[in-house]
Amino acid sequence: MIELTNTTKMYGNVVGVNDITLSLPSGAYGLIGPNGSGKTTLINLLIGQLRPTLGTVRMFGVAPSRDRRVLRRIGLCPATDVLYPNVSAWEWVQYQVRLHGIARSACRRLAESALETVGMTDVMRRPMGTYSLGMRQRTKIAQAIAHQPELLILDEPYNGLDPVGRSEMTRLLKDWAASGRGLLFASHVLQEIESITSSFLLIFGGRLLASGTASEIESILADTPQEIRITGPDAARLIHRFADVEWVDSLQLTDGRTELRVSLRDPTQLYNQIASWIEADSLRITRVTAADGNLTALFESLLRHHRGEVL
Amino acid sequence: MNALSLPLDVMWFELRRSLTIGRLAMWVVLVAFPVALIATLRVVTETTAIEPIGITLYFLVPEVTCLLGLLLWATPAISTEIEGQTWVYLVLRRSGRRTVLLGKYLTAVLWTLAAAWLAIGLSMLFLGPAASLQLLWVMLVLATLSCLAHAALFVLIGVIFYRRTMASAVMYTMAVEYGLSFVPAVVNKFTINYRLRGLLAHWMDWEMARTRAENVFGSEPPGTHLLVLLAITITFLGIAFYRVERTEYPTQQEG
Repeated sequence: MIELTNTTKMYGNVVGVNDITLSLPSGAYGLIGPNGSGKTTLINLLIGQLRPTLGTVRMFGVAPSRDRRVLRRIGLCPATDVLYPNVSAWEWVQYQVRLHGIARSACRRLAESALETVGMTDVMRRPMGTYSLGMRQRTKIAQAIAHQPELLILDEPYNGLDPVGRSEMTRLLKDWAASGRGLLFASHVLQEIESITSSFLLIFGGRLLASGTASEIESILADTPQEIRITGPDAARLIHRFADVEWVDSLQLTDGRTELRVSLRDPTQLYNQIASWIEADSLRITRVTAADGNLTALFESLLRHHRGEVL
Repeated sequence: MNALSLPLDVMWFELRRSLTIGRLAMWVVLVAFPVALIATLRVVTETTAIEPIGITLYFLVPEVTCLLGLLLWATPAISTEIEGQTWVYLVLRRSGRRTVLLGKYLTAVLWTLAAAWLAIGLSMLFLGPAASLQLLWVMLVLATLSCLAHAALFVLIGVIFYRRTMASAVMYTMAVEYGLSFVPAVVNKFTINYRLRGLLAHWMDWEMARTRAENVFGSEPPGTHLLVLLAITITFLGIAFYRVERTEYPTQQEG
């Protein structure tokens, strides 16, 4: 379904996507990475909007930037909003289907069916300028599925949805994945992806850091040093405690000696000890932050693993 | 079949979404200002000579009205989609880029041509004895040729200079179509306005004007002018289609 070979995309001197090699058979995948990690650049490569600077991109066996017929098999719901205020969803979705070269008579039927699937039938003839953010989001999904693609790519599809809308979106995407069609779902929120699929692609700094199921990624993380941040007026007084243990890789004191960053392989050892140290030394510690509460720190840990800085 | 009907569907969609009060007001202004100037001219001058009236009408409609209309409708063909964050939806379509550009070109021609023809028709009512069937058909044909050629030019400028589209188009128009087109050198033969003026003088039988101001009206036969205009239109559109297929326009997305 998706095949990338040493794919690199440069914007001048800036790397958008960095040497990604990947082969995905048909299935549902979550593409996760913080904002600016290269998710959208990767998606733009997959739809042929961008051509790789190096390497190749093949979708269903063909390069999308050269043979645009393959785009008929792909549906995309981009992260950007739709700004045609005086056009109705009914008109816009029909227009989008028509641009695939589908006959006029079929466009209307396909558009109405897609709008019904996303629950927009009642309001589909209203101008889009009167829609809420959630309604526009559902209209975007409708244009992505209306031409009945084999692969659906979504970029942050939960943006702007209320809890009811999120639940409906999750159901829609689960149904899509269950039907056996391809799904690639980009988000910076892990929980959103976990509710749809257990297959992940982790991207950061334009690099594909890891891929696999949640348990496979957890096993990678188990061997990867993680950073714990300890904050408080007496944070510096914990240094002598960490200096005496074997499970700490490095220590860094920052922020006017009030924040101690501890890099370690097994955070449970720290969690077992730290309360007793604080009590014994009468320390004033205000916060202990773990890496998994901070997606960027988690990805930095994976990046160190990816670079081979960790064995 | 799709190759013919798809651009028409794009045009229909573009016309549909263009029906806003702001755009309609601009269209009315495009029609009204040459008519108002011609009417004023008839009140303050008593000339019935066809040449000054014909040249004035030519300057006001096939040149100014058409250029202003196309600046507004043809030039931002790509930039409005980029700024409106809708370009990514179009590039994902199998027939998206070229078809949309052709549809937008046709829309720009239709909007502007409608304004130009109406302005010519209304101006004729104020011209009195100077109005003639010959002047009417010459102006209608020149407005049509002006729209087709200038729209191709502005679409090309819009495709290449998608960031400072209007400024680029205005600078090009002032420098080339209103500057170089009057320069008595080979370069003016490659401008649209030189060809249109040549056709005006020839079809209106203004032999004296052609003799006295050859660098303005040219001396080539009308077939040459028409051929060059056709070549300019096809070349500009061809380059625009090639560029729009190849260019990686920003999609205003992050992530």
